[in-house]
Amino acid sequence: MQKTEGGAVSRLPVDRLQSSLSIRGLTKTYPGTRALDHIDLNFAAGRIHAVVGGNGSGKSTLIKILAGVLRADTGALTIGTDEFDLSGFDAASSRNAGVRVVHQDLGVFPILSVAENIALGSGYPTTALGLVGWRSLRKRAATVLDSFQIDVDPGTPMQSLRLAVQTRIAIARALQSQDNASSKVLVLDEPTAALPTHEANELLGTLRGFADMGLTIIYVSHRLDEILDHTDDASVIRDGSLVGTETTPSWTEEKLISAMIGKAPIARKPRAQTQMNRGNLLEIRGLETGPLKHLDLTVAKGEIVGIAGLTGSGRSSLLRTIFGVTKPAGGQISFDGQKIHANSPERAANRGIAMVPENRAVEAAFADLPIRDNLLITRLPEFAPPGRILRAGLIEKEASALVARFAIKAVSTASTLSTLSGGNQQKVIMARWLSREPKLLLLDEPTQGVDINSRNEIHEQIREAVNGGAAAIVVSSDFDELALLADRVLVIRGGHVRAELAEQDLTVERITQLATFDEQSGTRK
Amino acid sequence: MTATRTHKAPSTQTGRLRANGWALRVLERYALVLLIIIMIIIFSTDPASSRVFLSAPNINSILANQSVTGILSLAMLVTLVAGFFDLSAAAVTGVASVIVASFTGAHVGNPVLAVAIAICVGAAIGALTGFLIAKVRLDSFIITLGLYILLGGVLVWYTQGQTLPTGSSFSDISSIKIFGIPSPFILLIIVGILVWLFLQHTPFGRYLEAIGSNSNAARLVGINVDRIVWLSFILSGALAALAGCLLASRNGGGDATTGSSYLFPAFAALFLGATAIRPGRFNVWGTIIGVFFLAIAVSGLTLIGASTWVQPVFNGASLVLAVILSTFAARARSRRVVRPADTKS
Ligand SMILES: Nc1ncnc2c1ncn2[C@@H]1O[C@H](COP(=O)(O)OP(=O)(O)OP(=O)(O)O)[C@@H](O)[C@H]1O
Ligand SMILES: [Mg+2]
Repeated sequence: MQKTEGGAVSRLPVDRLQSSLSIRGLTKTYPGTRALDHIDLNFAAGRIHAVVGGNGSGKSTLIKILAGVLRADTGALTIGTDEFDLSGFDAASSRNAGVRVVHQDLGVFPILSVAENIALGSGYPTTALGLVGWRSLRKRAATVLDSFQIDVDPGTPMQSLRLAVQTRIAIARALQSQDNASSKVLVLDEPTAALPTHEANELLGTLRGFADMGLTIIYVSHRLDEILDHTDDASVIRDGSLVGTETTPSWTEEKLISAMIGKAPIARKPRAQTQMNRGNLLEIRGLETGPLKHLDLTVAKGEIVGIAGLTGSGRSSLLRTIFGVTKPAGGQISFDGQKIHANSPERAANRGIAMVPENRAVEAAFADLPIRDNLLITRLPEFAPPGRILRAGLIEKEASALVARFAIKAVSTASTLSTLSGGNQQKVIMARWLSREPKLLLLDEPTQGVDINSRNEIHEQIREAVNGGAAAIVVSSDFDELALLADRVLVIRGGHVRAELAEQDLTVERITQLATFDEQSGTRK
Repeated sequence: MTATRTHKAPSTQTGRLRANGWALRVLERYALVLLIIIMIIIFSTDPASSRVFLSAPNINSILANQSVTGILSLAMLVTLVAGFFDLSAAAVTGVASVIVASFTGAHVGNPVLAVAIAICVGAAIGALTGFLIAKVRLDSFIITLGLYILLGGVLVWYTQGQTLPTGSSFSDISSIKIFGIPSPFILLIIVGILVWLFLQHTPFGRYLEAIGSNSNAARLVGINVDRIVWLSFILSGALAALAGCLLASRNGGGDATTGSSYLFPAFAALFLGATAIRPGRFNVWGTIIGVFFLAIAVSGLTLIGASTWVQPVFNGASLVLAVILSTFAARARSRRVVRPADTKS
């Protein structure tokens, strides 16, 4: 490891001339899908280069190949003056070539300390006895954190940190120099998908610093404003083929979207006021749960209520309590005019409540089961007359109809969920619940990782459900989404509802300001 | 720089590759069946074994004997699909065989009643295990291992190490042949069909599989995970007891250790079975094929006159090999080249 002098600059042994990256003729095929089709791409040193594309267009596949996690069918890679064959490019070659990757799920271990999370990228230091050298572990982590200007104690458990900080630690872990391999290229897959705008901006600032040091940065995101504001170049891929590469100033949002979907985008619909006053559906009084200290909330039929707040403010706890996953410490919940005493996800689902949880992989996905099971698992009794077996034909028909209705990009409904791209998996989970025609939708980051076009489609589906008399509570870190979708937005901070925004007040700026107020004055929660 | 799209996929080549992939998938699913056929050919042509191997008594005894292993494996399959190991199932088989023996033997009871009692006791033990695992949330491996040891001990105490004989009318049942097929094998096939229908084609079975895939997510889609896991243990106990009834009838008695000795053969069959028919998953027909794969090998090797150490070596090696083969086949399949995206969106 090198000695540090001063800031992050000295840490990164980057040679500008050596770190440009180019890909030639990259092709990758999965059973039934050509995920990448003869891709040629150049990434210049010292620039942030965005890769944009709809769900399932092949972005993550591209990144996994660069990381050496997946083998390409064919393709050549040049980094600086080094040439590689991508069909035999493995994780070790990727590291040695100077490629550093932060995958979409970050790959952090929530219950381990920051120091251990960093050590997992470089190996644990050991004592003479072969035991873990905890002191040098902490010291090494402190050096890394210091040089990347991340102000946290190495002993802090990862899970107690904001996602933006976790992301920066994941980046620091990827970039910390080890052996003699120097970092040349930093690749990030949707690092901002679950970050509120201001935290995303903070992260992009950090990335700009790395680019200025000469690092090549490849950046995948579905947030077009972010790409237009913070990147230097942008390439669009659609269905595995490159549509075009231009410098960012020559792109506009419309141009990007039409390149992504291959046709002119439909105008983004403004928030249509939904018909309310059809009676109250949900009444919450004095709810105490998780970080929430005393929360009152009434939701009327036909209403979309947005919940804004920072990570850890209790947004998810609220939804989880209504759905019976967590027992509240106090307070009362009434649904459809009836007090809820005993609650569980099963009871909640039977009452007509649906919940799309925040963490898809852990709480919603049956990764190794077929797509059709994932879609219809909550509705199976419909397909089995009492005492009879399931009607496979009907199941297949309904599953195909849902795949079409939600524009899920899948080879067949019998393929396992794990073969879908991230955004398409999210669409499956949304379809699972929306197709039950629930009375109350609890949506936690409903469109995370979903491309902008599909996001509009999902919003449309939510509005449709609500116009039919249902109600929805939407938690989103994407304040833009809240402003677009919700009839009113509650801002939660410090365990209480701090503000309620509606009509003209309901703007991204106001939400951001109110949700992050404490943080600007130095404290959090 | 603006890149252009270069679409070229020679259709004839893709066609051939698709055919290859198809062949590979069939091979992957039926490799175990193929191996059974190869073994049958070898053992029925080898002069040392051919005469006896293909004789009706040998075939019948393989079919009948293995039905106990088969039904026990299916009992264990029910909970394994949801991700729970049930080591105690084999002990339940032992308990049931002793119950049936003591009710039809010395007390000269009604065999139907005896079987009903045994199955109820099996279900009750399953209910207890299931309660501890699903409701109290204790570790299934440890609980069922404990129960396996405990029940074994209780049986030694109860039988005093003796074999309790069943009534002769009871043991005759398993010697009946229907259209020349031994009745235990018919029972196995019926149980197999029922378990298969149950696991694959009822909501309950799909829930079990969802729980096995991601129990967290299963809970959050509103599945009553505790209740379903509990019920699966009850069902598993009842099926394991049924295997015990068959065992008592086949052996003409029940003792403390025979039932328990079926644990590892049943597990081996389950894991072998997970490499066939639905590769990567525990499944009914794969399991039954696994049972007979091992049985045919054992019978053939014995007839050839192989030493006693050959059997365990063979069983262990085939388990490891089967897993290796199916894993490689799965990898090859995921690398296989197919036509470019023909998607539905
Ligand atoms: N393991 C797999 N088996 C089969 N097909 C796969 C597999 N992984 C991905 N695919 C397919 O490859 C294509 C590209 O997927 P990829 O994950 O690269 O998309 P993406 O651009 O990252 O999408 P998203 O924005 O939704 O994350 C998709 O059609 C997907 O269904
Ligand atoms: Mg992706």
